Amino acid sequence: MKKFASIILAFIVLLTMAACAPSTPKETKDPGKATDPAPVKTDPVKTDAEPRKAELSIMMSFPQFMDQWETYAKQFEEKMLKEENIEVTVHLEMPSSDQYESVLQARLTGDDAPDLYTLHCNNLGTYNKAGNLYDLSDQPLASLIYDNVKETVTIDGKLLAVPIESQAWGVLYNKAIFAELNLSPPDTLSDLNNICTVLKENGYTPFMLAFQEQWVPQLMTALTLGDIVSGKLNDWLERMYKDEGSYEEVREIFDVIDLIIENGTDRAMEQGSEAGAADFAMGKAAMFVQGTWASNTIMTTNPDMELGVFALPINEDPNCTRVNLSTSTTLAVHPSSSEMDLALKFANYVLDEKDSSGLFQSCSFNPLATCHDYEAYSWVADASDYVARGRAYQDLVLPSSVTDEQGRLLQEYYVKTVTVDDIITRLDEAFKAANALN
Amino acid sequence: MYGTTAMQQKKIKNLQLIIFCAPALIVYIIFKLYPAGSGFFYALTNWNGLNKTYDIVGFSNFVEILSDRYFWNSILFTMKYVIVFVLVANVVALTLAVAIESRPKARGFFRTIFYMPNMISMVIGGYMWMFIFTKALYYLADNHGFKWLDHSWIGDPNYSFIAIIIVSTWGTAGYLMIIYIAALQGVPDNVKEAAVVDGASPWQCFWRITFPLIRHALTICIFWTLNAGFQVFDVIYTLTGGGPGRATQSVAIHIYEEAFRGNIRYGYATAKSTVLFVIVLIVTAIQLKITSRKEQEW
Repeated sequence: MKKFASIILAFIVLLTMAACAPSTPKETKDPGKATDPAPVKTDPVKTDAEPRKAELSIMMSFPQFMDQWETYAKQFEEKMLKEENIEVTVHLEMPSSDQYESVLQARLTGDDAPDLYTLHCNNLGTYNKAGNLYDLSDQPLASLIYDNVKETVTIDGKLLAVPIESQAWGVLYNKAIFAELNLSPPDTLSDLNNICTVLKENGYTPFMLAFQEQWVPQLMTALTLGDIVSGKLNDWLERMYKDEGSYEEVREIFDVIDLIIENGTDRAMEQGSEAGAADFAMGKAAMFVQGTWASNTIMTTNPDMELGVFALPINEDPNCTRVNLSTSTTLAVHPSSSEMDLALKFANYVLDEKDSSGLFQSCSFNPLATCHDYEAYSWVADASDYVARGRAYQDLVLPSSVTDEQGRLLQEYYVKTVTVDDIITRLDEAFKAANALN
Repeated sequence: MYGTTAMQQKKIKNLQLIIFCAPALIVYIIFKLYPAGSGFFYALTNWNGLNKTYDIVGFSNFVEILSDRYFWNSILFTMKYVIVFVLVANVVALTLAVAIESRPKARGFFRTIFYMPNMISMVIGGYMWMFIFTKALYYLADNHGFKWLDHSWIGDPNYSFIAIIIVSTWGTAGYLMIIYIAALQGVPDNVKEAAVVDGASPWQCFWRITFPLIRHALTICIFWTLNAGFQVFDVIYTLTGGGPGRATQSVAIHIYEEAFRGNIRYGYATAKSTVLFVIVLIVTAIQLKITSRKEQEW
């Protein structure tokens, strides 16, 4: 028993000693081997100053381009370390697009604003009024942006954001199918009607319909209203904002909307925008009312796709057949950024002379500044041709609630639960309600 | 002397109770009570959720709600959903519970299988079912002759309502089933055996003996499904987004869109959520009163 107790005691003492022993490296140098060079102290080189550490928080709404922006952020980090001796860590957040706005608003109101964030160009006014945008007018990037694009991100003479996605867009079409059937882009509604007939006679479905998300059918009103306002009723929008206009005046937009729906693919409500773009790329339809921002999905699905763009005709007047010039996603700097200097540097780096072209090209964005020297894609060239001929208009800025309502009502119109008269009444109401609040 | 000791013991007991409840209570106060209280305050403002400043507008938001037809339509849709969901989910859950309890073997296996949907987020479940409704069912209809499946499950408001009920029940029935199983296990065998000896059929045995004895579980399950039904968001959001148009817009989705989309009227949206709170409070209070009266204590 005594033996057992002494063994236990010895074991405990051993354990205690081991536990209390100072933590030394496992490998100890043999004092006999004094020829080894003495360990060199690895203090940082004192000739250069220690890099300043900083963090930059950026929130963006396009998770589909996560890889491209992460690479760009890394390039920025390296550039800052090399040129400014700042060890910056960029925290890139990409919530899903449908939740992006609510996440962003929650952060802005919770005093947890990101240093930079993307927002839709149409929301610049609201965010500016709320004091969430920094004026970028005196930044170097201001002189690089094309004038027609700069206009879309300027309010009261202040450049409020860096445009990221800017495009001339209309209807996407499959050039190979059109060439096979000797069809050319339409100038009038009759032309479009004829194209639909020829396509159907040859076994093609004319239009891809993907109405699951409300913003996709809404593109039809974006294009048709733009056409009619720029070609005929120039003061319609102005009067709408004064409660002096009505959607009754633009009723003819439903002629082409009806034509598209009648000649579209089945099960539109079951088709999301991405799936629609992929199916369009695979030749399930010859035309798709969708912006050029879908080109990335289309070309990834079918790299051999011959993609083109034409302006959507709404009547027999070719003067109304125009492409839409718009800026969708922009990048803003929050005025309360604790790293304002770095935030502005990043904003400028987005339009960097050397690196910006690579980023924009990898995301299939259109060139929008003088620093973008890459060759435009064929579909961009098609749309630019309309712009060159003066057949383009600046995207109409409607109240967000009206834009949302248009999407909802066109979904309902497709499933035949509302009539054109109902749509006109409800859109007039929505516009007046939005006017009353602003 | 004795009185003082008893008093002290009572104090200690109360203190223990408070200490044990404190963690849950603190979380509840911070994440439920405080937002609810501040929500009522914002309901009296015209805050847009973005501006640093806002004005107190009194009860004008509540007055505006009275004539907001989209809000009342969403309330009507939610009511319809709640009635069907409470009924279907509880019937399915009780049927599953009885079926599993009556099996001599593999109860654990079936319990696990039917409970599994409860272990994943309804958002993920919603997207899974979205794939089934928009791809898988059409594949079966187009390639294997199941023509009765060929409906617009997301686009047609009638079918999308059915789709929403199917997914909600799928996600909820397992949880309710566990509550019903626990209640069924509490029914004494000798009572059921006595009924059988007296010549009661299996249906009579269930309806006259078992069902009255599990009424307390029914109260809990109906209360829970009523609450969940009134607040339905994730299933509809992922499945139909409230569409086509506003055809399947529940009141929770309507409030969300009012607060974060369109005109971004945060104050008005919180006024709507206050109205929803009052409606839920009244309905659940009535339900608790009715079902508790019928509960039978064993």
